[in-house]
Amino acid sequence: MANHTDSSTEMPNHLETATFEGKNKVLGFWLFLGAETVLFACLFGTYLALRNQSLDGPTTQELFDLKLVALATALLLTSSLTSVLSMIKMNERNMKGMITWLVITLALGLGFLVLEIYEFLHYVHEGHTFMSSAFGSSFYALVGTHGAHVTFGIIWITTLIIQVLKRGITTETAPKLFVSSLYWHFIDVVWVFIFTLVYLLGKVG
Amino acid sequence: MAKESNQAISRKPESAMKHILSFVLMIAFTAASFFLVMSDAVPSGWVIPLLLIFAVVQVFLQLFTFMHLDQKGSAYYTIFIIFGIFVAVISAVGILLM
Repeated sequence: MANHTDSSTEMPNHLETATFEGKNKVLGFWLFLGAETVLFACLFGTYLALRNQSLDGPTTQELFDLKLVALATALLLTSSLTSVLSMIKMNERNMKGMITWLVITLALGLGFLVLEIYEFLHYVHEGHTFMSSAFGSSFYALVGTHGAHVTFGIIWITTLIIQVLKRGITTETAPKLFVSSLYWHFIDVVWVFIFTLVYLLGKVG
Repeated sequence: MAKESNQAISRKPESAMKHILSFVLMIAFTAASFFLVMSDAVPSGWVIPLLLIFAVVQVFLQLFTFMHLDQKGSAYYTIFIIFGIFVAVISAVGILLM
């Protein structure tokens, strides 16, 4: 890389790992994601073990509406793409582009959350509650924990946008934005398993 | 310190194309999963294994494109997440078989 003479030698291409502190943040965050994987695996194991214990309440086949789930999946998957696009803009030092993609990410995340709240309200109306059966408890524990992660992610990214508007894209703010993006992708990874193992498997039986 | 910043420079900036391609693949796998369940195109014994394969493929696409594990210097990140997945699988299977 001795023939690097363009302006990019002034500043590193990956702002998030340009400093020692930034590197440590990203490394520590991956350790956190490893632990989160175990948390969700336990909730998935519990759900899969209890999903047929629906007592007198509705079963998975009666309850789930795949069209709604498909829409929620599309929203969250697209928000994962817009999140990675914002990170590309960040490393181009394009503040306006980055914030635009982040706001789109937030809007898609909010759309997902609204669908999930609507879905839960509908289920409660159908007699499927946290207390109604073991299926109910394990379902809301798993999908609710994921929804809580989405909610936290929306709050986190919102506060980061406010901070980056004040301080600009620096070696201090870039690692924060980068790990929030990793978090957002992780939420999407968990959702891939929720729509497969909860909703689609619930329809297959 | 000079070595550190050199390392950061040597990694090329990312193109959006790679991520968009990965996104298209993920959408395709998701659509295929929904299609498997909503239609009777494949024998019922095949549906669950195929669903699981599709989900795992999508997760690897996420990890290695969107979450940048394909970049240089990601060895420790990969070790952490693989160890997490290892413990996660043992936990989930353990609870299921309990």
